Amino acid sequence: MKTLLLKLEPIIWFLFGQGIMIGTMLLTGWILVLGILMPLGLVDPVHLNYVRAQQLFTTRFLGLPIAQLLLAALLILPLWKGAHHVRSLLIDLGGGERDWIVGSVLYLVAIIGSVMGIGAVAGI
Amino acid sequence: MSTTEKTIVISRFDPDKDEAPYTQAFQVPCDPSWKVLDAVNFIKDELDATVSHRWSCRMAVCGSCGMMVNGEPKLTCKTALDEYGDRVEIEPLANFPIVRDLVVELDGFMHKFERVKPWIKRVKERAEDMENFNQKGTYSQSAEELGRFKQFSMCINCMLCYSACPVVANEPEFLGPAAIALGHRYNLDTRDEGTEERHEIFRGEGTVFSCSYANECSEVCPKGVDPAAAVNQAKFGAVIDWAKGLVLPRAPRGLD
Amino acid sequence: MAGLAHPEAMAPPKPGRTRTAPPRMPRTWWTAPRIRTYLLFDATGILYILVGFLGIKIVSRLGQGPIAWQAQMKALENPIYIAFHVLALASVVFVAVRFFRLFPKAQPPAIGPAKPPPGNVIHAGLYVVWLGLTLLVCLALAGVIL
Repeated sequence: MKTLLLKLEPIIWFLFGQGIMIGTMLLTGWILVLGILMPLGLVDPVHLNYVRAQQLFTTRFLGLPIAQLLLAALLILPLWKGAHHVRSLLIDLGGGERDWIVGSVLYLVAIIGSVMGIGAVAGI
Repeated sequence: MSTTEKTIVISRFDPDKDEAPYTQAFQVPCDPSWKVLDAVNFIKDELDATVSHRWSCRMAVCGSCGMMVNGEPKLTCKTALDEYGDRVEIEPLANFPIVRDLVVELDGFMHKFERVKPWIKRVKERAEDMENFNQKGTYSQSAEELGRFKQFSMCINCMLCYSACPVVANEPEFLGPAAIALGHRYNLDTRDEGTEERHEIFRGEGTVFSCSYANECSEVCPKGVDPAAAVNQAKFGAVIDWAKGLVLPRAPRGLD
Repeated sequence: MAGLAHPEAMAPPKPGRTRTAPPRMPRTWWTAPRIRTYLLFDATGILYILVGFLGIKIVSRLGQGPIAWQAQMKALENPIYIAFHVLALASVVFVAVRFFRLFPKAQPPAIGPAKPPPGNVIHAGLYVVWLGLTLLVCLALAGVIL
């Protein structure tokens, strides 16, 4: 398991890096509107009623499902940022020995989330 | 010049006599111009000759006098005693096995350092490579090419970065800031041809990806080497090489 | 005096000629302001995981039809969800500020012949892109564009 984790570190780090980047760039607006402004009524939730949400999240551009790809990135990549950082935090708190289990569990959670995310986006 | 009396607390440990390190306090009349190293030398010269510590150049180029001063890794020859109050605690560098008093075991670092092959690697030496160079002689390098790696070559191996790094404290195999920075220095050197090989080492045991970018190493570095920048540049390079290795077939390079 | 680091931290490849004391960490390590910032930075990972899974749940409701979607949008009005999202937003901003500061120096000095722009240009550029994209996302979700 340790060797597997070592071999996969480059791709894990890359996903984590994109997770921070996308987690900043796209997620900020998502959290702000969907999580705060609309529930508080400061932005009219009618703009994300079922019909419009469907239409927005399936927007295509040049034949590609751009909105779904961006949505998938927005949902999935932060999971990798989170998993990697929680693993790092637990190592810093003295968990060097257990890292191979803890890391594997956290990345497994990220993988499961990624699959669920793709499923959710594809099912719109 | 008036001296101030300070309490200097030194960590002591004699493997022949002591189970574990303990502290010993000394009252030291400190001159206002003193560095921390002067106080330790005073203690050894005047108060207790059995105190062991490393020091040499007294001007922050040899890297010998690194110690923890009030919990922070410092070069004691460069750190003014005036910055501290009446009580100064001096301990050996964090994260290293302690040999005696303020002296730590450095072989662990030497081993990691060797692993990154910190020298110029070439497939063929220029003097023998008559196909590509029409005259024998030295490699020439522009100022711009030197500028790419010069900062990382300023490392004096003082090990303060290892004492500051939380990953070094928790992951024994981690190569560590100085070793990776020095390996990266050679990767950036235009005379060197060992980049792919070093990137493979960077992905192996002690991987650069263990670095969590705490940036503490760069904060404590006395020479402005910025090892955190080197390690994180190295991560990027290692990923590119890894991806290239997956996509493109690798021709044998004939290095070692 | 000091806490213990990993017992094998910086261990030599072969044992030395004398017994060494195990490596130590300063007891003040945890409380230094820079370290607290760094540990908090890592701890935000938990919120990112939760935001990700909540987002997945929200989007999956969209695929379940208008009634499920409406119910989900209503559920988000629960003050606990709002408080969670405020915390998540604070985390994202906190992460962004630290990340944008550290990102420029991690760029390689050159990729082939191409050199990246100077560090402070990248730093400022990241903020510009962040604000721009956040605005675009907000406008899209709020129905102003697209």
